[in-house]
Amino acid sequence: MPCINEGMSMKDFMTGNHAVANAVKLCRTPFVAAYPITPQTAIYERLSEWEASGLLKGIMMRTESEHSAMAACIAASLTGVRTFTATSSQGLALMHEMLHFAAGCRAPVVMANVNRLLAAPWGFWADQLDSLSQRDTGWIQFYCENGQEALDAVIQAYRIAEQVYLPVMISLEAFFVSHFMEVVDLPEQEQVDRFLPPMDLPHKFDIEKPGFLVPVVSSELYRKYKHMAQGSMDSVKKVAAKVDQEFKKEFGRGYGIVEPIMIEDAEVVLVTAGSITSTARMVIRDLREKGRKIGLLKIRLFRPFPVEAVRDVLKGKTKIAVIDRNISLGSGGIFCQELRAALIHSPDHPLTYSYIAGVGGTDVTPEVIQKIALEVMNRSEPFDKPIWVMEE
Amino acid sequence: MALPAQQPNLLRPGHAACAGCGLAIGMKLVLQAMGPRTITVIVPSCEGAIGGVYPNTSYGVSTIHSAFEIAAPTAAGIANALKIQGKDDIQVLAFAGDGGTFDIGLAALSGVTKNNEDIIYVCLDNEAYMNTGIQVSSATPLYAWTGTTPEGNPRRKKNIMEIMAAHYNPYSATASIGFPRDLQQKITKAKGIRGTKFIHMLVPCPTGWKTPSDISPELSILAVETNIFPLYEVEDGKRYTINREPRRLPVQEYLLKQGRYRHLKEEQIRQIQMDVDEEWERLKQRAGHSTQIDK
Amino acid sequence: MSRRIGRLKTNSDHSSEFVIPISYGSTEVIETGKWGFQKPQAFFQTAPCQEACPAGNPIPQFLYLAGEGRYEEALEVILKENPFPGVCGRVCFHPCEKDCNRVQYDEAVSVNAMERNVFDVTFNHPPNMPPLSDADSKRVAVVGSGPAGLSAAYFLGRFGYRVTLFEARKELGGVMRWGIPEYRLSKSILRKEIKRILQLSIDVKTGVRVGKEISFEELDRFDAVFLSPGAGLSLSLGIEGEDLKKVWRGGDFLDRINSGDKLRIGKEVMVIGGGNTAMDVARSALRLGSRVTVAYRRTRAEMPAIQDEIHEAEQEGVRFEFLLQPVKISLLKNKKISVKFQRMRIRGRDQSNRPKAIPIQGAYVTREVDGLIKAVGEGVDLSWIPGTLCKNSLIHVNSSLTTPHPKFFAGGDAVDQPRTIVTAIGAGKRAAIAIDLYLRGHNHDDVFSKIRVGNKGVLSMESYLSGRSGGNWSEPKEVVSYPQLNTLYFEHSQRVEMSKLGKQKALKDFSEVNLGFNSKEARISALRCFSCGTCNYCYNCYFFCPEGAISLDAFHQTKYVDLDHCKGCGTCAKSCPRNVVEMKDVG
Repeated sequence: MPCINEGMSMKDFMTGNHAVANAVKLCRTPFVAAYPITPQTAIYERLSEWEASGLLKGIMMRTESEHSAMAACIAASLTGVRTFTATSSQGLALMHEMLHFAAGCRAPVVMANVNRLLAAPWGFWADQLDSLSQRDTGWIQFYCENGQEALDAVIQAYRIAEQVYLPVMISLEAFFVSHFMEVVDLPEQEQVDRFLPPMDLPHKFDIEKPGFLVPVVSSELYRKYKHMAQGSMDSVKKVAAKVDQEFKKEFGRGYGIVEPIMIEDAEVVLVTAGSITSTARMVIRDLREKGRKIGLLKIRLFRPFPVEAVRDVLKGKTKIAVIDRNISLGSGGIFCQELRAALIHSPDHPLTYSYIAGVGGTDVTPEVIQKIALEVMNRSEPFDKPIWVMEE
Repeated sequence: MALPAQQPNLLRPGHAACAGCGLAIGMKLVLQAMGPRTITVIVPSCEGAIGGVYPNTSYGVSTIHSAFEIAAPTAAGIANALKIQGKDDIQVLAFAGDGGTFDIGLAALSGVTKNNEDIIYVCLDNEAYMNTGIQVSSATPLYAWTGTTPEGNPRRKKNIMEIMAAHYNPYSATASIGFPRDLQQKITKAKGIRGTKFIHMLVPCPTGWKTPSDISPELSILAVETNIFPLYEVEDGKRYTINREPRRLPVQEYLLKQGRYRHLKEEQIRQIQMDVDEEWERLKQRAGHSTQIDK
Repeated sequence: MSRRIGRLKTNSDHSSEFVIPISYGSTEVIETGKWGFQKPQAFFQTAPCQEACPAGNPIPQFLYLAGEGRYEEALEVILKENPFPGVCGRVCFHPCEKDCNRVQYDEAVSVNAMERNVFDVTFNHPPNMPPLSDADSKRVAVVGSGPAGLSAAYFLGRFGYRVTLFEARKELGGVMRWGIPEYRLSKSILRKEIKRILQLSIDVKTGVRVGKEISFEELDRFDAVFLSPGAGLSLSLGIEGEDLKKVWRGGDFLDRINSGDKLRIGKEVMVIGGGNTAMDVARSALRLGSRVTVAYRRTRAEMPAIQDEIHEAEQEGVRFEFLLQPVKISLLKNKKISVKFQRMRIRGRDQSNRPKAIPIQGAYVTREVDGLIKAVGEGVDLSWIPGTLCKNSLIHVNSSLTTPHPKFFAGGDAVDQPRTIVTAIGAGKRAAIAIDLYLRGHNHDDVFSKIRVGNKGVLSMESYLSGRSGGNWSEPKEVVSYPQLNTLYFEHSQRVEMSKLGKQKALKDFSEVNLGFNSKEARISALRCFSCGTCNYCYNCYFFCPEGAISLDAFHQTKYVDLDHCKGCGTCAKSCPRNVVEMKDVG
């Protein structure tokens, strides 16, 4: 693996999965509980290797299911140690009960989810529905464009989680990001140590003062704790932005919670998340060169949905096309739903179109994106239903 | 009569168990032997209901009320985290009912046991889903009445000890609340072993077994003396030790004291006796014909 | 759950501390005791062994303490009711073991051997038993220092009275000293027990016979008098030749042996009689080197001696010939004694409902022996006692051992009561209580019924003392019967038998034959006691209470029920093996 040293950090050539694994090691996460599922296995195996050789100091629990893995992570987290797990698709779905539980326990678990389509029928290809269908579980969610961003997101995730006491899920698409090899900047251990203070959980088990964690409560009390959690979740918009800024200061890279690209005088704004963003960047550049006023908005933080940031960036924009690599049957693309809800009171009343592209891992080529952009330019009437892009 | 160890009562009174509840007796005895340096995992089941509602709890040790099927991995997560923190004098104890062990929690328990995680897992077996009414579980014995098997359960009880032995874990044992000193000795022994320790404890339920509220300990003794629930230990899945030579009372002495068996016909009692005798022979064989009486 | 609008009521501030709810309060604030309508109560009762013991030994209590290794306390507990555990442990006929509830489960508890064991273990450091009350100026005389007299002197001394003990002979002890051979009761043990009694500052006057050294009238100077002269007159057979010099009287024979005389009685010896004296005589004769035959007019089953004694006599080689009644004794030219016997057979029953022996007409048999000892019963020497106090050749007393003269009391073999040492000890206690009531001006009758132990005439000194100062006694306890026990909690186990000297060794001299228990045997035996009606801290109720509402302290013997949390499930009552817990309805 060719390595180029540039100043403090070290560059290496690796897949998105390995980038995530490296981030976990750099964060000194001592507790990992996981269960293998394609295409997450490389994360699990690399961490296993390091745990066996002692490079990753700690304990790895090789559980018998993802559900148990999450249970163990929550428990370990509440004991006061930093935890990590990774999964995908079916595994994430199996964890569903535990995802609610983790958020309810306010356990700062960090999980990497490799976005893979959900059966039935079967397949292993990229699709964002698995993590998006968990959007009500109370987890903070980030969508990563590439391996570098996934690595950085893990580090930022711990910082955010351990501040607001909510679990964080960072998503990277199957194969397009997870297995894609790219040059990755590996931060130095000292930098990460500086950036991440040791974990402290006020509500962890205290053997000297025995308490009963997570008891049965009255309706009013449940509501109160949920209200408190909502407040914490809300604060993540500011917290995440701040953490990202501090990250940029320390590591030289920043992403924002949303990223506007060539958006200033755009007549049409495409909205993307994940790897499609990389392709879209190219397309926007091309179209601009051809004189088309097309802009791009990347959504990085999905939960909490960055309503204020999105409204801010899209002020004055009247035509928006969201490209969703997912479909919520009976409704539409989920990013689009969330965006429409965010823009409902916008004085610009933008036309928001929902494009479905890439479901089931189908290729979202530059041509597809260009096609979407040009089509939207020609639209002038509102259209509620999702528009499927299927190449014949 | 040796004085019992002066341990504080870690299952505080004021809990919501039914009067005469065998499970409460079992938990009390276990927690007493575990001592205050314990973190306990409770699941939704009778033990969850017994423990009380916020802001009060009956548990005198640090406890978490986890989800139904994950007593084992929750406890394992805590145990591993404690190991990471270097706190090796704190025990981790998981309580689950028969439903949470034999049925919905079986896979998770198996996963934890095959990894030999360092926990003590106590199955409080009252032979049905009692917290939610009285519904059949795979721990319900043959012919017993439950709300979902009103004509009597047509299937035999799963042999959970054999399932656990198949994992080769360092220590498993059966325990009965009718023999409190034996029970507490086993917990104390488990505390000194590293790895997954499994205790299968029979706890009579006056409500579900339809018995008067004052005979739970008696039934627990009769279950052992009729060989329906022998007291034995298994080490590493291979070495069997029978702890008590039973009086070999006929099964009726135990069965007919319970309303859930009141409908039993002669041939059903005979069948139960046959099954019990056969199981006992098999157990004796595994124990190598050497019965060790240690009390 | 009720819906409330407004501020949430919590009793803990901690909810605001953490982002998740954590309960720190204890459910003890919830009074689940309100659920039930029954609560447990301790219900102490008398064990059948206590009822059967004429001295009223607190058997379950002392066995418990012995089992715990608390021997000094065990001895103290016995001494509160019986000043002679050492003697009883050797020679008592243990009616307690016959009535022991455990007999119906497997085998009786070895009470007798354990009483001996308690004495043996504490032999070198016995507890002090000082007077219970302040010294009282009233003076009580006790005539006769046998078991009844010494027992009365002991209890009277404990009450604080000034006791004067008159004993005709040079040493104290009565039948214990002179009538029982050393191989059954070592005199050093007797001396130790007597010494303990005399620590109560009893004024002892040995060598003083009432009717000789002092007159009966002089006894009137005392505020109360207890007569326990015993039965020392050998009864006669009423046949020709019985007063021949060569014919020994059983009582004299034993007396001489117990005085240390070396007797020679010949090779072939015959003993006439079937009681304990006859057995003692026979076995003593064996030890003098004779071959001994016991002749009894009825069969073995009718012999009044203690079964253990008969059995041991047989084991040692005493021969028995039954259904022989002597009719003539004569001295032969060759210095042998000839005894002519009438053959008897059993037919019907006599006045005391015992099988009756009637002669077989014309059937005789003659035996020639070198020595002959008759031991057919003892009578009382009443020559020195005013006739008004006598009836039927005994001192006449009522149920509270009072003679027709209110100041004079009597007990022991001299009155109409079974002739055993332990009965005499019980009589001494009864008389002491009667005297105490008399001297304090109380009426006797209802007190005795309140301080009874069961229904066989036994009294408890502890019960008496509990009401003595206030003059108020609570109702006595009932006796626990076997069906009331919960035997599921008991393991079957065999009785341990005491080891004994082998036959050869035993007959060599008068060394003690029974060797007592070692500590392991003692512990096993003590733990076999079911402790009927008395809590012995088995901790069942403590272990089995689902609420943990019962706490016990075995050392201080206290029990406590947390009524705020007891749900009245009744498990403690049901699981008490000895019927000590009852569920009672509460308002």
